[in-house]
Amino acid sequence: MRYVRRVLGGLISLFVGLSITLRELFKKPVTLQYPHEKPSLSPAYRSAIKLIRFDETNSHDCVACLACQKICPSFCIDIEGGKVEGIKKKRATKFTMDFALCSLCGLCIDVCPTVTLEYSKLYDEAGYNRDWNMDLLEEFTDYEEQFITEQREREEKAAAEKKAKAAAAKAKAGKNEKAGKNEKAGKNEKAGKNEKADKVGGQAEEGEA
Amino acid sequence: MSNLPTAPETLADYVSGNLWLFFAIATAAIMGYLTLNALFLIWLERKISAHIQRRLGPMEVGWHGVLQTVADMLKLLSKQLVTPRAIDKPLYHLAPVVVFAPVIASVAMFPFAEDLVILDIELSLAYVFVFGGIGIIGIFMAGWGSNNKYALLGAMRSVAQNISYEIPLILSALSVVLLVSGLEPVIINDNDQLRPASGISLIDIAIVQDAKGWWFVLVQPVAALIYFIAAVAETNRAPFDIPEAESELVAGFHTEYSGMRFAMFFFAEYTNMIIVSMVATVLFFGGWSGPLLPGPVWFFGKTYLLIGGMMWFRWTFPRLRFDQLMSFCWTVLIPLSIVNLLVTALVLELL
Amino acid sequence: MSTEPNPEPNPAMAPDGDPEVYYLNMGPQHPSMHGVLRLVLKMRGEEILEAEPVIGYAHRAHEKMAENRNYLMFLPNTSRVDYLSGMIYNIAYCQAIEKIMDIEVPERAEYIRIIACELNRISSHLLWFGTFLLDLGGITPFLYCFDDREEILDILDSVTGSRLTYSYGRFGGVTMDVDSAFVARTRAFLARMRDERLPKYRRLVGDNVIFRERCEGVGVITRDVAFRYGVTGPCLRSTGVAYDVRRAEPYSIYDRFEFKIPTRVEGDTMARFDLRIEEMEESCKIVEQAVDGLPEGPIMPAKPKKRYRPPAGEYYFAVESARGHFGTYIISDGTDVPVKLKLRTPSFSNLSSMPDVLRNTMVADTIAIVGSIDVVMPEIDR
Repeated sequence: MRYVRRVLGGLISLFVGLSITLRELFKKPVTLQYPHEKPSLSPAYRSAIKLIRFDETNSHDCVACLACQKICPSFCIDIEGGKVEGIKKKRATKFTMDFALCSLCGLCIDVCPTVTLEYSKLYDEAGYNRDWNMDLLEEFTDYEEQFITEQREREEKAAAEKKAKAAAAKAKAGKNEKAGKNEKAGKNEKAGKNEKADKVGGQAEEGEA
Repeated sequence: MSNLPTAPETLADYVSGNLWLFFAIATAAIMGYLTLNALFLIWLERKISAHIQRRLGPMEVGWHGVLQTVADMLKLLSKQLVTPRAIDKPLYHLAPVVVFAPVIASVAMFPFAEDLVILDIELSLAYVFVFGGIGIIGIFMAGWGSNNKYALLGAMRSVAQNISYEIPLILSALSVVLLVSGLEPVIINDNDQLRPASGISLIDIAIVQDAKGWWFVLVQPVAALIYFIAAVAETNRAPFDIPEAESELVAGFHTEYSGMRFAMFFFAEYTNMIIVSMVATVLFFGGWSGPLLPGPVWFFGKTYLLIGGMMWFRWTFPRLRFDQLMSFCWTVLIPLSIVNLLVTALVLELL
Repeated sequence: MSTEPNPEPNPAMAPDGDPEVYYLNMGPQHPSMHGVLRLVLKMRGEEILEAEPVIGYAHRAHEKMAENRNYLMFLPNTSRVDYLSGMIYNIAYCQAIEKIMDIEVPERAEYIRIIACELNRISSHLLWFGTFLLDLGGITPFLYCFDDREEILDILDSVTGSRLTYSYGRFGGVTMDVDSAFVARTRAFLARMRDERLPKYRRLVGDNVIFRERCEGVGVITRDVAFRYGVTGPCLRSTGVAYDVRRAEPYSIYDRFEFKIPTRVEGDTMARFDLRIEEMEESCKIVEQAVDGLPEGPIMPAKPKKRYRPPAGEYYFAVESARGHFGTYIISDGTDVPVKLKLRTPSFSNLSSMPDVLRNTMVADTIAIVGSIDVVMPEIDR
């Protein structure tokens, strides 16, 4: 009797399984036909880092502090830079990143003091060799001279303003410089963030370029 | 076919008059059909499995990927044949042929319609089983000749499995044979000679069912089920695919075969599927018999439906373990088929 | 294929003069050796007399790497130790450092971590379920599992930006905040998982007679063997021991949630299968409670430290990963680089019990048993 029940029970369980797969047979497939249809990238998608282009300066704000280079666990960031003639700010003259080594942990983005790093949306990258050394400054080189002249103007303007303010402050004999500086830094950062938000939409073209 | 006309008037007459030419054409036709069939079945299997798994399967080559298997075959044809160094050369090279040849021979004996049978042999059912048995030798040759432990394990499993499952397979077929001979005999007009239908001839079994108007599956459901299960096991398909169980034995007996040699095993597997399905169609589902549509349409319709069922099995169930497979055969299938045979005999005697 | 047993002297593996005894080298390249496990089997026919797992094919020196970089820089490594439950490992490492250095984690971050970890646990179990069935020859459930797992990966992708190696935790919090869309999606997933998918898996696989025949009574890990080898996780719970770090030494905020620690007494493959399915249900429960109780607030401390220098000493912190007791052992000398960072990975101990479990089984059982203990080779080799 137990034998019969086992055989029959087994048979029923097999038919239950068959009925499940039969029902699935007529359901709509859940897969994408990949190269023809592409999945939408998550807004948080992490790919190689890139330098943010800020609106007001039309350039990045990397001051070559090397914080990202030092924190990078894969040692894939290489930055050179320093003082540029004519402007106060330090500038990066070389910013390369070996995407083949990058582990996309995002520590560099966390530590960047000027918030000029973000994830790019590079997707399905492939190559014929292992050379994935990306020059992140490439897109900025054409504007670099222009940036430096503009930056000089801005700095002069800021210096003039500061002077005026200092004069006013002297008159009032109260306010110190630091507050002004802080305010400025805060503004800068805020602008950067807005920029970041705006840019998400236009990433695709940039990625391809 | 056997009576030779003196002067051929049409091409068909000429061909049927010249036996050698006839067999050459028939062999070519069978080969062509089997190749197309294997290509189609592989595509169908991939499609069915894909849709069961909520995928689309091959979609790139041709409409919904129909030509995918053609492309795959071209790839296999152009691949280098890797021959391991330590093989047993004659066995290794002969094995794909031994597996492949009998399946072609079997197809020649099927009645696709009442008047469409290439080789009308009286003992055709027996021959089909005999040819089915030869393939195992090839599998064992492949496993032994490869000098690979996985291949050898696969081959040992295969031999044990095929020999065991042939018993319920033949026993269940035997109950149909019994039915044909035991029922009120149907008289067949064979070249103006009247004779009672023979249970061992495929065409006669189909004729009997056609004449009686009902299919043997109605009176022999147990035999049909046993036959189907044993047939799935005979073709080494999941859930009985232990000879090539890829998660255990890598690829089983054909581990060391590459390129076209592998393709021959693959081809033989799919051709075996169609043979056992054709036998099932003839034994239990009335062969070509069916209303309205012409015979071959019914015949192939039923055959492919059965194959679809086998594919459905494969993509639903996990694999049995080797000893369970054997004990299932010896403790469930064989006793059941013997009981079924005895009951059939008893009922026929009492009727 | 090597005909020699492993060069390591193991008296049990030595040839004993029986001409029918032979050695089968399963892996490291084998369709069902998860990752790069190599099993050297001493066999007679299809029966296994002795088995010896050989490891080390995926060694990437994670522990050594930790000695050459500061605590923060080791973060991306943690997800890669066990790539199937990368989130749990990643967050466990953060929690270890937080505990050592008394870093306060904001409420919201704790909840998000719990959600992420439990989703990760479900995805890990789903992948195990699929590959286990693949080992047993059932290919279709694998694809169904991947459908579900894909949904989890998408959900996690939407907050972490990554699908496998998340690097989501930071010391003191998480990198990105979740939004209402994440919560809604998680809820939808939980509903689908509980109402549709898990019952379906039970009917399609758990009740299937072939599956039960393959699993019942196969690969029994006795409680004695489990204790001797330090087996943890579902493998230990299948022997009737209700040991789960989440309950035994509650970390994070696990003590706030209601969930059961499912156990079985059989200790066989089927018990481990049942357990994992039940654990997925329990994880769903935890995620639901965490999503319901998700508070507002920051996700990182107001002022994260720039450098992390744990006081000199030895520390051990354990969590329950998808495979069992995962411990982080840190020896610090007060600098920002650990002197030694040892990871106690559950798969290693679980796999160690295999020679005892595999003795006198069949080749097909070997696959089922090794599949059922859910080893992740990179976790063992590290």
